[in-house]
Amino acid sequence: MKSRGRTRGSLDIESDAHRRAAGGRRADRTAEPTALTDTLVYLAYAVAAAGAAGVYLGLPRESKPDRRGLLVIMAAVSAGVFCLVMHRIMGDAANHVAFVVLSLFAIGGAARMITHPKPVYSAVYFIIVILSTAAMLVLAGAEFLGLVLVAVYAGAILVTYAFVIMLSQQSTMHSDHFRNALDYDRSSREPAWTVIAGFVLSATIAGMIVQRSWPSFDAARAAKTAEHNTLRLGELLMTDMAVSVELAAVLLLVAMVGAIAIARKRIPHDETFETRRPLGESGRTAPPY
Amino acid sequence: MLVGALIFGLGVIGFLARRNMIVMFLSTEIMFQGVLVNLVGMGLLHGNLQGQAMGLFVLVIAAVEAGLGLAIVVMMYRRRGTLDAESWRTMRG
Repeated sequence: MKSRGRTRGSLDIESDAHRRAAGGRRADRTAEPTALTDTLVYLAYAVAAAGAAGVYLGLPRESKPDRRGLLVIMAAVSAGVFCLVMHRIMGDAANHVAFVVLSLFAIGGAARMITHPKPVYSAVYFIIVILSTAAMLVLAGAEFLGLVLVAVYAGAILVTYAFVIMLSQQSTMHSDHFRNALDYDRSSREPAWTVIAGFVLSATIAGMIVQRSWPSFDAARAAKTAEHNTLRLGELLMTDMAVSVELAAVLLLVAMVGAIAIARKRIPHDETFETRRPLGESGRTAPPY
Repeated sequence: MLVGALIFGLGVIGFLARRNMIVMFLSTEIMFQGVLVNLVGMGLLHGNLQGQAMGLFVLVIAAVEAGLGLAIVVMMYRRRGTLDAESWRTMRG
């Protein structure tokens, strides 16, 4: 495992030397996309493969031997290669160290979230993912979006999730089949195929992102969007996208009504009992003891 | 943006692999996070604010999805008494 990581690292350094020999800085990557882009694509595939193996070993299974050491090794290898790739891509950005650390937190939290056998702990790891994503957004100059992310996700959505988790696992706590009831948390469904599907998908997306020629990162332009971010975002939303904002409001209303209609407990009420009462009295009078 | 792609892929795995329905919906939220990171990153590269505005609408959709999905989960839990998605395997359309 370590030798594989080292070969990848040496490959990386090699192509780095090649890139420097070609006299290209990062902005010139779009100009000559042949060797360097290929290396990046293969690196992305390699990271995806290592991560796939790690997640496959980490998914909860029926008879689970102690594979924790292997999992840690796989995670370390993929994290190292990922750091290399990120360093190659974000190399000359000023805040790339913080970005790499935050993205490692986010990805590690996401991986542990989908591999943890208990839903409550999954929710806690989800908070880690959210916080690091919000910090990444603030780093990228989208401070309003980062704040909204923390408020909406860590505040509202996560409380809803925690509420549903408590609500639906309360009844199994005290009964005898507590261990049986959580069996579906301990064994996952078709782990190999799902891991293959997910990582092939993400490797393809990552490869296409690497291959496509993006406009080069312009620090001045980025600073321009980061300046008065909230103000300008609000102006954009209220002028160009006003209809979309209204649509979002209507959508939220409809979703609220729909959620209440779906989750409402249907109380069977007796028609004759209701109509027997005088009008306006129903609901107010309690039955006599 | 690679981070976004990776987070999205992890979300896909979580949605397909886990059998607890609550964790499945948490995985969809993870996918939303990946998309959000990608939108903001692309907006940063292009130097305009439309990526962030789209990210805001993605947040709205995520909230809607969480509410409706959890309502459905509560309803299914009342029907079956378990959160196992495999218990609905016999469902025929």
